[in-house]
Amino acid sequence: MKKISILFLSLVVIITSCSKGFLDVNDTPNNPLSVPPATLLPTTTVSIAFANSNELNRATSAIVQHIAGVGNQTQAYDVYNLDGSFDNQWSLELYSGAINNLQILIDQNATANPGYSGIAKLEMAYAYSMATDLWGDVPYSQAGQGLKFEVPRFDKQEDIYQGSSTQIITSLFDLVKSGLADLARTGLLKPGAKDDIVYGGDTAKWKKMGNTLLLKFAIHISNVNPTLAKSTIQSVLTSNSFINANNLDFEVPFGASVGNQNPIYSFNNLNRLTDQMLSARLLSLSRSLNDTVRLSKFFTKPGGVFVAFDNGSTSAAPVAATRSKYNTYLTGASGEAPIRLLTNFQVNFILAEAALILGTTGDPNKYYQDGIKASMSKVGMSQADIDVYFTTNPTVVTLSGTTEDKRKQIITQKYIAWIGNGIEAFNDYRRTGYPQLTLALNALGDNPNVIPTRLPYTPAELSRNPSAPSPRPKTDVKLWWAK
Amino acid sequence: MRKLLLVLFCFAISIGQLTAQTKTVKGKLSDQNGNPIPNASVTIKGLKAGTTTDLDGNFTLAVPPSAKTLIFSSVNFASKEMNIADRTDFNIQLQPSANDLKEVVVTSLGITRDKRSLGYATQTIKGDAIANKGAVNVVSALQGKVSGVNITGASGSAGASVNINIRGITSFTGSNQPLFVIDGIPISNDVDRTNGGPNGTLGDNQPSNRALDIDPNSIESINILKGPAASVLYGSRAAAGAVIITTKKGSSAKGKVELVLISSYSQQHVTGLQEVQNDYGEGLAGVYNPASTSSWGPKFGSTPTVANGLLVGGVPVDYRAYPHNINDFFENAPIRENSATVNGGDAMQNFTISIANLNQKGILPNTVLKRTNLRFGANTTIGKVKLGGTITFTNTVNSGVLGGNGASALGTLAGFTRSIDLTSYKVNGTYKNPDGSNNFPIAGVENPYFGAFENPIKSNLYRFTGSVTAGYDITSWLNIGYRLGIDVYTDRRKQIFAVTAVRVPTGQVLENTIYRGEINGDLLLTAKKSDFIIKDLNISGLLGQNVNQRSFQNVQAQGDNLAFPGFYNISNATVFTNGSIESNTLRRILGYYAQASFDYKSYLFLELTGRADQSSTLPKLNNTYFYPAVSAGFIFTDALNINSDVLNYGKIRASVAKVGRDADPYLLSNVYVSSSLGNNVASFNFPLGSTAGFGASTRVAPVLPLKPEFTTSYEAGLNVGLFNSRISVDLTYFNAVSKSQIINVGLAPSTGFATKTTNTGRMTNKGVEVLINGGIISSKDVNWDLSFNYTRIVNKVTDIAPGITSFSIPGSAFTGSVPSIKIDYPFGVILGGLIPRSPSNERIINPTTGLYNPVIANQVLADPNPNYSFGFTNNIRYKAISLNFTFDFTKGGQLLSFTTAIYKSRGVLKETAVDREQPRILPGVIQVGDKFVPNNIQIPAQSYWTALGGLQSEFNVYDATVFRFREISAGFDFPADVIKRLKLKIVRFSIFAQNIFYVAPNAPFDPSVNTQGAGNIRGLDLQGAPNARTIGVNLKLSI
Repeated sequence: MKKISILFLSLVVIITSCSKGFLDVNDTPNNPLSVPPATLLPTTTVSIAFANSNELNRATSAIVQHIAGVGNQTQAYDVYNLDGSFDNQWSLELYSGAINNLQILIDQNATANPGYSGIAKLEMAYAYSMATDLWGDVPYSQAGQGLKFEVPRFDKQEDIYQGSSTQIITSLFDLVKSGLADLARTGLLKPGAKDDIVYGGDTAKWKKMGNTLLLKFAIHISNVNPTLAKSTIQSVLTSNSFINANNLDFEVPFGASVGNQNPIYSFNNLNRLTDQMLSARLLSLSRSLNDTVRLSKFFTKPGGVFVAFDNGSTSAAPVAATRSKYNTYLTGASGEAPIRLLTNFQVNFILAEAALILGTTGDPNKYYQDGIKASMSKVGMSQADIDVYFTTNPTVVTLSGTTEDKRKQIITQKYIAWIGNGIEAFNDYRRTGYPQLTLALNALGDNPNVIPTRLPYTPAELSRNPSAPSPRPKTDVKLWWAK
Repeated sequence: MRKLLLVLFCFAISIGQLTAQTKTVKGKLSDQNGNPIPNASVTIKGLKAGTTTDLDGNFTLAVPPSAKTLIFSSVNFASKEMNIADRTDFNIQLQPSANDLKEVVVTSLGITRDKRSLGYATQTIKGDAIANKGAVNVVSALQGKVSGVNITGASGSAGASVNINIRGITSFTGSNQPLFVIDGIPISNDVDRTNGGPNGTLGDNQPSNRALDIDPNSIESINILKGPAASVLYGSRAAAGAVIITTKKGSSAKGKVELVLISSYSQQHVTGLQEVQNDYGEGLAGVYNPASTSSWGPKFGSTPTVANGLLVGGVPVDYRAYPHNINDFFENAPIRENSATVNGGDAMQNFTISIANLNQKGILPNTVLKRTNLRFGANTTIGKVKLGGTITFTNTVNSGVLGGNGASALGTLAGFTRSIDLTSYKVNGTYKNPDGSNNFPIAGVENPYFGAFENPIKSNLYRFTGSVTAGYDITSWLNIGYRLGIDVYTDRRKQIFAVTAVRVPTGQVLENTIYRGEINGDLLLTAKKSDFIIKDLNISGLLGQNVNQRSFQNVQAQGDNLAFPGFYNISNATVFTNGSIESNTLRRILGYYAQASFDYKSYLFLELTGRADQSSTLPKLNNTYFYPAVSAGFIFTDALNINSDVLNYGKIRASVAKVGRDADPYLLSNVYVSSSLGNNVASFNFPLGSTAGFGASTRVAPVLPLKPEFTTSYEAGLNVGLFNSRISVDLTYFNAVSKSQIINVGLAPSTGFATKTTNTGRMTNKGVEVLINGGIISSKDVNWDLSFNYTRIVNKVTDIAPGITSFSIPGSAFTGSVPSIKIDYPFGVILGGLIPRSPSNERIINPTTGLYNPVIANQVLADPNPNYSFGFTNNIRYKAISLNFTFDFTKGGQLLSFTTAIYKSRGVLKETAVDREQPRILPGVIQVGDKFVPNNIQIPAQSYWTALGGLQSEFNVYDATVFRFREISAGFDFPADVIKRLKLKIVRFSIFAQNIFYVAPNAPFDPSVNTQGAGNIRGLDLQGAPNARTIGVNLKLSI
């Protein structure tokens, strides 16, 4: 009896004495608790490119009638059925994929490693411009900061672009300038060939990217704040540091191996082979401009002919193998095509429009023609083909008529050049009304009588953020900068 | 741990030398009519030793000299105590009784208790009720038989998991599956998932819950501990209830050695498929189109014309129906089951050795489930010391076929075109081209046979479960015991996507190894004292200590982009950076518990229990938590001396209990993860070439110290025995409140994060359970018992977190049909889009198209929670022939069926052929100015059915009400003289059937499916496998 009691006691003692370290096993072996900035920057860069070229691109490309949806979600977007979509884009691609990690990059590196924080601020400005250009008022000054603001305020689009001292909102312009200022400083760590997947650590190119971003923002607000637009563009022109050659384009590389491919390829060529194809409306525009050589760089011609489909049509789609789908300029042979975010052709069209509308320095026609040439050479047309096009289509490549006529020419060319990037084409369409699109057949959505002018807020944000506007604005409510 | 074993060992040796003189007693038990009572228990009072009677009611038992009294008991009979003295022969007659009068049940930690003393509900299912009835998974064997429990199988696919929730769902995001305990050892019933390609769990092979590894035929009894009061001693692990399984022991051999052979053969057939039309074939808008996956083509027998597409280049197209092309995809699949068991010994020393093998060919092509169990168990009693041990080795091989939306075998099969001869691809092996690639006439569509044969997933699991127990009677009233249990398994899986598989066109080889291990030790000191302080007050108490460790490892190597087809070794891959993962978890709990039970004059019972757990997953300074339970029972019939012919037994009982649940491991810090973006339609994973990319996890770690979550449960019940206990009724009401849930609650995505870990939320479960057992006829030749159970559980989410009205249940979901937690709704509602309605609640039609207006997102689309369910089991015996059968009924619960949607939109559902050439009008209204007028816009049948056939449409939400003839078995015991002549002990032949038929009044298919299987996501049929019916025969020999 005594023996047993002693044994029992000793058991208890053994168990309790080894219990100290016994429970100390809750440090995760699966994930790091901190990472160097060189592993965050590739994430943020790919995130903004992915956001730009994935679902948001499919929806906007259908809305602007670059493509026609023939299956699943794209078919719904084609007729403006947008409600309930884009949770992943808003949440995972923009706010947590890009913005949150950019905020971490900025917070952790602004002092010691301005080379990282500078780029992060430029990318941050790009990410937020995508958000506000698609949704209007969005969480901005309080967003991406985790529990510091659990219910981020929806800032007005005009405050996001122009800033507000009363609301303590830094404008997108100032965010870019702050990034450029960081890039001018020297620091301990600096992005290099491996982690700066766009410019390989070349700070000068990032500065050009930043200035180009200012040009893009300026032209976006040119309807509503021409003064700021003009002064911004003029000062960038004066600096003479912006993307002015195709090889300076801000484009994010993707890879040819599975898992590294760009979303345009993985959607159209791997996973959803039959969901979308060339829009009949783009085909007819392209034909009317004799521009089908360029179109064939954007879209395939199986059997030597373009096979397109009308937006919103309920008739049977053509046999899958015969459809014109995105070509290798956009997809790459195996998904390795870069995602182009800021380009030389874009800059030329911006400067053409600014010279025309705002009176900034330069000849609108020269910029216009440079823009067309930049686009044609970008998509892979030979110099001979470009020259032939210019000699045989003098009226297309020369601005003529009223200012509004000229603007229409500029934006129409920009619209063609942006095939594959529906977001930019959608921006210009809403800002200028060009090209003049007609409603898709069998339109649905919030208002079946107009082409949407914004995307609906996403279900997750609406159900989890009490500061989200309720009810959400309909998709026919125009943005602050829209025409 | 090693030290522990050593101590135990010494302690066993030091007293192992004691021996004792035993004597043997024998006898026979019979009922009031003189019929033998088989399977009655004969135990020695004060010792745990005992035996059971054989078919003729005979028993023999070795009795130690210390034994003074024998207890004879059996279900449906009042137990009897007899002094042993010098008697060696006992011929005992038992009187019928209330069912739970003196019924011995196994409660927490394997402690056997007299059921009448319990202040909470438990339900015992005897091994006979589940063995040899065609159920492969022990959880599905319980269907229709237990009150307070919801059980739904994923499908009839071989090895598919089965979901079980006891008394509703109490945790928002934790596991709500009960703890499974076999012979005192907690075991894993986890579902381990391999990703199923880009669709994840939305398109996998419905991998099993690991209780599948148990051989149902080895089970002696299952006791379901329903509420926290019953399971509190198991602590956090049993927060969702416990299923206590006791396996068969050698003690049944009664001093001899017996060999039991069981062999059965059965066949499975598919059931519950949608009915199809066979009037129209491939095409669209009445025109034949060989590129279409729909059956909106011309009517079979139409004159071929260029216009209807049936005349191509002057040659008519071979266009006809293949009425069975869907049905014939499913195979008539045999199940063979054989087992041999050797039992030997008696109540004091016994052993059992068994081998069992199950070989099931699935109803889906190229699927199989093979299970082999080897079991060895032995117990010995040496004086005051009892030692025991069991070892079970299991090998389970399961190969499956992927299902789900988007290019899976089952996804393509749903609504399969009526005019393609699918079967010929299998017969001729032409589902693949000579180069090994997918062969199907429609581009971008995978041949279902290609999916089944070329993209298989195989699992090969080795499992070892073992225990050692030791007990010592320190004095006549004090016992000390230790039980050590180990459950480990390694599941090696391989999934192949052949080159040209539509989900992964460039091919993929996935090698996945999953390891789980659990070690559980309990040190237990139990004491009993009669006439404590005052006369007739008996008390018993226990003090215990528990150590529990659970480890998990999942290592997966994913090889993509295969160099060439036909060689599915990972060396053939060229990209290894997608989905190659390593995940490890380790968690530990130290628990301390105590229980005191008071019994006054055997009619008033009170039990106090408390347990404190220390968990490794909670913050160090805050990791200990305590939870108590109090239960009481009062047998008013005994107290008040009521014993009429009508009411002869009555007990009221009540309990209050709290149970705590710790967190998952590693929730306390913010971490970074290797970045990936996208979903099944387009995705990106780092590294990009050789550039790594990390990003912050989308989860924020808790800011305030994390606390355990608690469920408080109130339970009250009434047990009565009527008409001399021919009928017994057990009523239970419970009300449970779960609070301060540990959840990764949804954050506004604009914070940059998706969730934060915190304690928040509140959910209630209220329910009623009814269990009625009745002996309708009880005579020498004829016996008829029936059992009825009823369950109603109402769950409600009453609070989530400030500002949060809903968030999705963790797991995979399709945008637009998201299983969610929504305030003021029951757990698990599916949120999606609903068509806007007019003020008079009619659906609004677009006046230009005649189709419905676009849906308004984020509404409650479906609620998978049933209103109530009941089951009804009959056992009838006429002489040597016995018959038993079970019906069950589930009212309500909704299911969103992608499968049925596809059958509609593709024009394959039978209804879609009715008046197909006639125009139709969608039910709804059109807005004209401020008014709504009935819709009068005519649209073609194809548009009509496409409008009703949206995958996530409210038109494909079905009421899952179903009445089911669950199982039947008929047995025949060979007459005793025949058996004797054959020198056998028992020969029983039986035939059985499972899932004989169902009636689902509101669904055109069998709605008892659940594509994502066991887990918190329910109510989705995402083109998963259908159900199966089993019919078979069984022979049992005992030598």
